Order: sequence, then structure tokens, then C-alpha cells
Amino acid sequence: MAKDLDYEQSVPKTIKKSTGTKVFETVAYILLSLGAIICVLPFIIIVSGSFTDNSTILTQGYSLLPRDFTFSAYQTIFKSPKDILQAYKMTLYYTVVGTGLGLMMITLTGYVISRKEFKYRNTVSFLIYFTSIFGGGMIPWYLMYANVLGLKGSTLAIWFPALMSPFLVILMRTFIVGAVPDAITESAKIDGAGHFTIFFRIVLPVLKPGLATVGLFLALGYWNDWYRSSMFSTNSSTWQLQFYLYDLLNATTAMKQMASNVSMKTADLPTESVKLAMAVVATGPVLLFYPFVQRFFVSGITVGAVKG
Amino acid sequence: MKKKLLSMLLSMTMVAGVVTGCGSAGTQSAADQLEAEGVTEIPAAEETKEEAATDAATEAEAQDAPALDLSNQVDLVFYVMGDAPQDEELVENALNEKLLEKCNATVDMQFSTWTDFQQKYANEITAQSADLIYIANWLNFGQLASSGAFEELNDMLDTVAPELKETVGEGNLNMCSVDGKIYAIPNTWPEYVCNGVKYREDLRAKYDLPVPDSLENLEAYLLGIKENDPSQGLLTVTTEESQGLKTGFDAAWVLNYKYPWVSNNGLDYGLAANYDTPSDVYDYWYSDDFVDDMKMLKRWADEGLWSKSALSDTNNSDAYKNGLCVAEVAGQNPNKQITAIADFENAGEGWESGYVAYGETNGVIYPGHATQNGTAIVRGCKDPERALLVLQTMLCDEEVNSIVQYGIKGTHYDVEDGIYKNLQEAAGETVTFAYEGFNTWNLRNGDTKLPQITDVKLQEMFDKYAALGEKTKFPNVNIYDGFSENYDAYSAERSAVSNVMRQYLAPLQAGLVDDVDAAVEEFRSKMKEAGIDVCREEYTKQWVAYCEAYNYK
Amino acid sequence: MKNKWISGVSALCLIMTLPFINWIKVVNLVALFSKIGVTKEMAGDLLTGYNLFNLLSFVQYSRQGVLGLFAMVLLILAVAAVYFNIAFIIRNVFGLGKGKGSLHLLAAGKLAFLFEFVTALATIIFVIFSNARFGMTGFLPSAVVYIELIVSAAAYIYIKVLEKKEREIYREHGLWVEFKRNWVLFVMLVPTFIYFMINNYLPMLGVYFAFTSFNFRDGLWSSPFTGFKNFEFLVKADLFRLTKNTVLYNLVFIGIGNILQIIFAILVSRVTVKWFKKTSQTLMFMPYFVSFVILKVIVYNVFEYQYGLINNIITGMGGERIDFYNNPAYWPLFITFFYLWKNIGYGMVVYLATIMGIDNEIYEAAKVDGAGDLQQIWYITLPHIKPTFIILLLYALGGIMKGQFELFYQLIGNNGVLFNATDIFDTYVYRITMTQPLSIGLGTAAGLYQSLFGFLIIVLVNYVVKKKNPEYALF
Repeated sequence: MAKDLDYEQSVPKTIKKSTGTKVFETVAYILLSLGAIICVLPFIIIVSGSFTDNSTILTQGYSLLPRDFTFSAYQTIFKSPKDILQAYKMTLYYTVVGTGLGLMMITLTGYVISRKEFKYRNTVSFLIYFTSIFGGGMIPWYLMYANVLGLKGSTLAIWFPALMSPFLVILMRTFIVGAVPDAITESAKIDGAGHFTIFFRIVLPVLKPGLATVGLFLALGYWNDWYRSSMFSTNSSTWQLQFYLYDLLNATTAMKQMASNVSMKTADLPTESVKLAMAVVATGPVLLFYPFVQRFFVSGITVGAVKG
Repeated sequence: MKKKLLSMLLSMTMVAGVVTGCGSAGTQSAADQLEAEGVTEIPAAEETKEEAATDAATEAEAQDAPALDLSNQVDLVFYVMGDAPQDEELVENALNEKLLEKCNATVDMQFSTWTDFQQKYANEITAQSADLIYIANWLNFGQLASSGAFEELNDMLDTVAPELKETVGEGNLNMCSVDGKIYAIPNTWPEYVCNGVKYREDLRAKYDLPVPDSLENLEAYLLGIKENDPSQGLLTVTTEESQGLKTGFDAAWVLNYKYPWVSNNGLDYGLAANYDTPSDVYDYWYSDDFVDDMKMLKRWADEGLWSKSALSDTNNSDAYKNGLCVAEVAGQNPNKQITAIADFENAGEGWESGYVAYGETNGVIYPGHATQNGTAIVRGCKDPERALLVLQTMLCDEEVNSIVQYGIKGTHYDVEDGIYKNLQEAAGETVTFAYEGFNTWNLRNGDTKLPQITDVKLQEMFDKYAALGEKTKFPNVNIYDGFSENYDAYSAERSAVSNVMRQYLAPLQAGLVDDVDAAVEEFRSKMKEAGIDVCREEYTKQWVAYCEAYNYK
Repeated sequence: MKNKWISGVSALCLIMTLPFINWIKVVNLVALFSKIGVTKEMAGDLLTGYNLFNLLSFVQYSRQGVLGLFAMVLLILAVAAVYFNIAFIIRNVFGLGKGKGSLHLLAAGKLAFLFEFVTALATIIFVIFSNARFGMTGFLPSAVVYIELIVSAAAYIYIKVLEKKEREIYREHGLWVEFKRNWVLFVMLVPTFIYFMINNYLPMLGVYFAFTSFNFRDGLWSSPFTGFKNFEFLVKADLFRLTKNTVLYNLVFIGIGNILQIIFAILVSRVTVKWFKKTSQTLMFMPYFVSFVILKVIVYNVFEYQYGLINNIITGMGGERIDFYNNPAYWPLFITFFYLWKNIGYGMVVYLATIMGIDNEIYEAAKVDGAGDLQQIWYITLPHIKPTFIILLLYALGGIMKGQFELFYQLIGNNGVLFNATDIFDTYVYRITMTQPLSIGLGTAAGLYQSLFGFLIIVLVNYVVKKKNPEYALF
């Protein structure tokens, strides 16, 4: 990898920048800066809001810098640190297992349906794509896992349903078709290489950006999900992080609504600031992790090595 | 070539024709066939006979009254709403120890959590994985029961749980029945969840304004505050509490001062019936009163009593607490007033919350319906009889009931002067089992319920309303909430009507239209298009039949 | 010549399947009706003989929901059989689809007769099933079913023989040979097969709920069959407006979204300063993490009439307040903006990864030839992105009737004033289902409408794309 980076950085040194390039780059810098600012502004509001007193948010609205600085929102969220750590741990577990297995299955499938010599590649592609259009709805899906497979309360029910998605399979197929020219696999075949050899020796090495992209999407899907905990968990020790946070908020709103029907004590939660702190708590780890994946998108690779 | 093909196809068609002949020879209406056979009566299905036989068997059983066979242990699942308490396991073990002893059964409490709870509640019943389940009218009890989601309890109550039947009482059980069959056991603690207006008593006194106990006084109160403090927000009204088929915008709840049937205690589809003459249904949306009322709301909106963007605001829950508004008019019951008092005390700004129930002005007030909080046995339950026995024990046996409701005495709570005291809260520790920690509001036993400290104030309010309620035609009986509409025949029209309400009634009630008369006309004609007449006709029929059945005349 | 005869047989099968021939006879009427609780009045709607196309009316009028799913499967099989037979005959008569000799034609014929055979067989099983269910002989298959069974089986075998000869000529192979040759590929697909079976295909049976009125007493599979009743709300709805809104919004989202994603991906890829490249890309990714629930609150604070940020600025400069929340004209713009805002950074990654997959040597060669930045982008980057772009576009088209529910629901909420410009199919259905909380059929019916709409579009578009360039086809 390091070698590739050097190679890319050496580009501007060897060839002098023309005026056209300079103009182009200036425009690029301006546009990107603008885009980045628009995208990051609300996030700054969120972070500063999460450190602001709840009633201050309600009475004075949002601001770019925290007013009435307080940790109370975070104290609410972390009021039982054991539970939230458990939620972090479980989410990490689901993300690692799900992304690992899912990425493997998606890549294998993508490989198979990108093979020209595979007669049924279009049929299989169609059958996979079909699932993205037609579905039986939530109830049969729920009954399938909860009653037929009896997975209610099991962690399997939380990570299994998100292993693959038709979108990611089709995306992976596109990446493979784009990254691996037919000529290479053909010549390998003539040399007597089997499918597994071709897959591991030839396809995987040049597929890094594709793998990183699909892996990232999968992992983010797992990290951000709360729905399957909501549906299948029977014990809070198997909750996903997002569900832990989301349910905290829902409990407050629901109980306030519920109080119209039932005499009950309602929990007192600084909802506005907690909502914002939740976003920070859930996003923080991802932003720390992101640079490790990012190098696959921002620095090129050379296919040449494989060709030679 | 072509010719040959044609002739071939022709011959094929002929063959097919022959086949057709023999295929369709028998096609005729089944009724004609029966007539031809001379059948005049189709004998009753054998299934009903079988049913009758089993009925007879149960009756015979009832007469013999053999004690329920408790020899085998039954493990039941009890599905309740909300989140599990931290000490779920501890309390469950204590509970099961008693239950094993008394009914040779255990109970596993399962919690819906508050995320997507409506959907998950329906799933749970569809999947039939629970045995006992919390029911309530806001969880569509009536429809669930009439669609067969729960076990019938009529016979079982006599054979298995006579004590339960006596504790709850015939009247309450009757309110939980659909088509004469009892499907749920209500709790036995009467509570008032009437609606009213919460307002800032301190500001009212400060500016010497009238108590908002009528439309005029509320307007005067709000305008008075605006005059004295123009920057103060007045009402934070949204569409939150007005999602049903009665109102479209929360501000319209103030009309409860004028009519007793606007929001919770009314009929759907803009129909109205006075409490004294419930089966005498009349029309509101197409009446002149409606136009006048909409003009009044428009005036209020123009006076700036609520934000022009209110229709998109869904975030009002903390507004009153934080002083962003000075009154709340929708979905405010005595319990919310108690919460507000506590909130203001905590805030320590010297704010005071006042409360006027609409019923105090319009004269109609009554406690919550029996189906407000109840328990049912899910169809497909492992052992319905044992489940009912367990339910009886949990509700009527004081020892068991107090474990379920309050946890373990000495660890979680204690009783001081007959009032519940949470020991952990008092010691400043994390509360691991709060008051009614299992969210089992359905297991409140009016005779043995331990009051909390806040319940004292609440009880005062209840007593006041109970006295008022005694004076009504049906003393302290909620005649409205027991009705559940069966809209199978006109569900498409009903949906369309609901959509018109969101699109045309809500802006009208929020005073966001330029010309009220024209907007009312548009609303009315859109309603006609949507099929309001069909809905109203069917609804009225069902409602009158309901009144007939319960003798609300 | 032989093929012509076969198409005659196909025509026979077709005619036998068509609705005017009965496949199932209802016998022992009195005993049957008494058993399943059909009264004299209900019998007026019932017949003594049924074909596969009106069999569901028996299910509906006799209130035997338990037979509904099976009858539905039979109907689908029959429709498929009719479709494949017609396709086969047309191909045969007009001489279409002769790729390699008549292999394509024969494949079509095989499919046609296979479906005829399965349909006939399933009909017989249906009769056995329902008789067993009612514990008496109430149904009998008519002679046609047996004829159909035998004729289609014979025709299928005959085509198989023809096909074998053709294959030898053209060196083509069937499933079995393919399996022997590429069994490794099949093995690779096993986990995928299991996954989609459990997660998608088996639950897909639930589509049947769109045609029933669910009640707990009868359960999911035995609830009364009600035909198209659940679809009635579509007629009541302003379907044209909803469809138009949904499709237009989606087209704008897909079109502008992809173009902006490509532009920003290219910009990021061409910037040479490393930290800037990484930082800008990361920052643009961040809106993905802002949930719509939070966005709603921020947006409300910005656009509110009295104290909203924008109106404060406007009045501060001496202008008139703008009543955003009561003016539908603004919202299509806002919604599009927030969609793009949230999705550009996320979607950009796909294009970035594609660009990174391009061999650097190609750019080097171009630079040596004196190509400027724009030329490099035009002649190298864009052509490399094209396949990804087209696939993403095609993929998105299938969901053209499904909307960004959260986006619309959170930003607009229950504001009826804005509905004319902002109501999409999903938000409408959500409001409708809120009024019928226990109806499973309603939501399923709505989903089925969306699916069929998307399916028709994608099949059409995919067909066109495939004609032009099979490389870019989705399937």
C-alpha cells in the first residue's frame, strides 16, 4: 500500500501544473470546502446542543456554541454505564460478525454472477434483485424468525437478517466486473486455476475499494440498526446500542402520551439535549474508525501488478 | 405451410371444443342445482353440533365443579407494556415462589419496550406466544376482542375464579364484554382521566385575570398575558392529540367548554350526541355552530394565540414545563396536573399550575372505562384455566399483588402511614424496582392499592369529580369508551374521511385559512366525496345498537 | 415442421387452461355445504364447477379462507401457463427467438408445458387437500385435468428429445452439465440461497394477505378471502397525485443525487493535498449520521414563522416574514435539498471506490499525451464510472414508487396544508394504516401496488438496456 501512496504523491512533482490545472484545482477546493461546511454545520449544532441545558435549547433554540454548558444529557445516557457498555459490546459483536460473514457471502455471490461462463448468472441476478421489489411485509417476516425458526431472544435473529442485501450484491458485481478484466481470469483458467484460486488470488487483491465500500455499508447498517433489537430481543443484555438509546427516548415520549390514558408517573428526561447527545454517542466511534477504511477511497491502486 | 398450420390449429380447436363440452357441462349455479335436486334446507353444520356437545360437557363439568387439576406445573408468559425494571429477575423469582405454592404455575414477564409498541403488541397476539396480556382501549381492545384474539372467560370465571368475578363485579365485567362474551378482567381502581385545561395560576393572579373556566375566560386569560408580556408564548398546540376521527388540531379541544362531546367523550365523523340522550345522534360539521366555532378559532389564531407554523410542530411535550406556553388544552388529565405541580416545584421558579376540568364547565364527567386497564388471555394459551387462576391470584391475593406491584418489602419499598415509600429513592440509590415496576396498571386492586404520596392530591381531585359525576344522568359511568366500531364494510371510506380531516379540517381548526366560509364549504364537499355519509350511517347504526344493548337511553 | 405440430399441442393445452373450461367439479352439494356451513342464500353465489381463474370466488363466497392460499397459487400457475403457452406459440408462428437454431424456442416450449403439467398436478393435489380438509368428497377434478396432465407431460418429453439433438449441434448444455462443470460456483451460492430463502422468499407468501381480511379467530392463513377489497383505498385516494409526487421526487433524487455524487467524487479524487482530501470527504459523510428526527427539529427552528432563524434574519433586515409552513411552493425545494444533503457523502463513496479502481497508468499515459484535467475526466474517468452509474440508476428505478418515508414524514408531519406538494405514496399509506391499526391486508396491498409498479418499470427499462448493451443490464 505504501508504495502506491508514494507513487500517487509523485504525480504533481514530475509534471508541472498548467494554468488549466490550477484553475480546476481552485474550483475544486472551493466547491469541496462549501460542501463540507454545509454538511458539517448541523453536526456542530448537534454537538454543541448536546452540551447545552435542555430548557435553554427549548427557550432559546439551537446555537453553534454551547450555552449553559452542562454534561447532564450525557449523564442521563450514561446513568448506568454497565448497560451502555454492554450495548456497545453487543453492537460491536453484531457488526463484526455480520460484516465479516456478510461481506464474504456478498463477494462470493458477486463473483458467481459476474462470471460469463456461468449460464444462469442472469437468472440468479434476477432472483436476487426480485427480493428488493417484492416482499411479503413485516408480519410474515417476523413470524418466520420468531415462530418458524424460534429465534426470538436469540442474537442470531439480530445479525442474520442483515447479512446481505440485493443492493450490495449488485454493487459488488459491478465492482468485480469493473476491476477484473475477463482476459486475466481467462488466462488464469487456461493455466489451470480453479474458481477458488481465481477468487482469492486474482479477484480479491484488486477488489480492495469495492470490498471497503460494501464492507463499510454493511458495517454502518449494523451499527445504525435498532429495529431487530426492538423486534426480537427479550432481554436488555442483547440490545444494540442504537436501540438502547432510541428506547430511552421513546420511553419518555410514549409515557408522556400514555399518561393521557393511565395514571402513572412519567420519567423526567431532558429530551432535546439527550436526543442530540445520543447522536454524538452513536456516531463518535464510527468517526474514529472511519480513517482506517477511508484510505481505500482516497488513494488509488494499480492493477498493473496483476497484469504483469 | 401457413395453410397447413391453420388447418391444424382449427382441428385442435375442435378437439378442444369437445373437451370443453365435457368440462363445462356441469357448470351452473349451485343454488339452481340445489333447486333441481329439490333441496329446500341445508342441514346445520356438524361442527356446531360438536360445539354444542362440548358446551354441554363444560356445563356438566361446571355442575360437578371438580377442583382444577393443579398436578402439573404450567409456565406462563405475561406480556406487558413498557420497559423491564432492573430487578426483574429478583421480583419474578419472589413472585413465582408464591405462585408455585398457590397455583403450581410460574409467570415470565415479557416487556414490549416503548419502541414501536403498537406494532409489537399486535405481533405478539398474532404469533400467540404470550398467555396473559395487558389490554386497554388505547390498544384497540374492542376490535381485538371481536376479531377473536382472546379467550372467552364467561364459563371459566364461574368454575375457576369465582373470587375474581366477585372482586371485579358484574358491571365492570360487562363493560369488558363484546357481544355478550367477557374477554378481559379490568382492574378495580376507579380513576378519572377526564380532560381539562392546565394554566399558570401564578401569572393569572399576578395580572389579575379570570380563571379559564369558559371559552371567554380562557381567551381573556391568554390575551391578558399577551398584553402584559408580549414576548411570552401562549399556547403550544399541534396535531399530536388530534389524530383520531374527532378533531384535527389540538386547539379545537377548547370547544369542550361549550359541548361535552368534542374530543375524548364524543362520536366520530363530526357526529354528536349529548350525554343525557346518547342514542339521539345529530350532526355537527354541517351545522351553523360549526361555522361559528371555526370563525372563533380563526379569530384566536389571528390574535396570535398559537404559532402560524403549529401544524408542523410536533414537539410540545416540555413547553409548559419550561414556560414556553401558559396553558395546555389538549389531552390534559388530573394526573398531568399532578406531574406539572411536581415539575414546577423542582424548577423552583415560583410557578404554579392550575387546572380546570372541562367537565366542571359542561357538566359531564365520569371515571375511566373498565377497558382502560385490563388483562386478557390470548387465544392459543397453553392452559387458559390455569392462566385465569394465576390472574386471580395476582389481582386478589394481597400478598402476591403487592409483590407484583411494588416489589419486595424492605428491599424496594416500605409502608409509612399507609403510604408507599420507595426505599431506594429515599436513600438516593438507583431505583431498581419502582412503584408498579412491572407496568401492571391492569393489576391495580382498588381495595388494597397502596397510595403514593402524589396520590393524595390526585384523590382529592377524584373526589371532587366523583361528586360532580353523581349528578349526571348515568352517575359515574363512562358510556362512550366501551363502543368499538366495526368498519370492515366501509374501511376505504373511513380512511378517506380521516385523510380529509388531516388535509382540510386541521388547517380550519388551526385558523390558517383566509376565508372560513369558503374553507368550510370545501371541507364539507371533500367529506362528501370521501364518503362521509356511508360512514355516518353505519356508525350511527352501530352506536345506537350499542346504546340499546347497554341501556344508555 | 415438427415445431409447428408442437405449437398446435400448446394451443390445445392453452385452450384447456382458459377460463371457459371447468377443472374442478363440486359434488355432493348438500353434504358439502352442510359441512362447511354454506347456507341456501350463500349458495346463490356458488357454482357447481370451477376453473382455476374463478376458483377464488368459491373461496370468497363460501368463506373458506383456509383454501385461499392454495387457490391463489393455482391461479398464479394457471396465468403463468397461459402466458408461456402464448409466448411459445407466437414465437413459433412468427419465427421469433431463434438464437442458436431453435434452442430458445424449445426452451420456451419446455417452460410452457412444464407449467401446464405442474398446474394440472397442483389441481389434483388441491382436490385431495380440500377433500381431506373437509373429511368428505366434495370436489372432483374434471376429465380435462387428466388430459392436460398427460398431454403436457408427453409434449415436454418430446421437446426434451428435440432439444437434445439441437444441443449436440450447437454444443450447448443444460442445467445438469452446467452443474457438473461449474459445481464450485453453485457451492458458492449455497449460503446466499439459504439466506434469501429464509429472509425473503418464504415470507413472500405473505403477499397473499393483501387479499384477505385478517382476523385472529381464523388466523393468518384461514381468514376470509376478500378479493380486491384491500385495494379499494387506492381508488378512494388521489392516486394520480400520489403517483406523480412519488415518481417525480424519486426521479429528481436519483438524477440530481447521482450527478452530484459523481461531481464530488471526481473533485475529491483530483485534489492532491492529502489532508484536505480526507477531511472534506469525511465531513461530507457526516450528515448520514444525523437522523431525520433531529433534522426535523433543526429545520423547524430554522423555518418557523415567529422565532425561526430565517424569519429573524429577514425581519432584522426590515423584510416581511415568510410563512414557510403554510406555503407548499417552498417544500419540494427544501425536501430535495435535505435529501441531497444527507445522501451525497454516503453515495459518493461508491463512485470514489470506482474511480480508485481505475489503473493509474491510463492517466499517466494521457498526461504524457498532453491531456488536461477536464479531458482526463471526460475521456477516462467518466467512461469508467458509466457502468456503475447505469446499474445504480436501474436499481433505483425498481423502487420508484417507494419513497423516503422518514424524510417526508419528519419534515412535513401532519401538516395538511402542504400535502398537495409533499404527499407521497408511503406517507399517505402510513396515515391510512393509522386509521386501521389491525389491518394486515391494507399495508400489504399498498406494498403490492408499489412492487408491481416498480417491477413493470424495471422489466421494461432493463429490456431496453439489454437490447442496447447487455453489459449494463441489471439481470
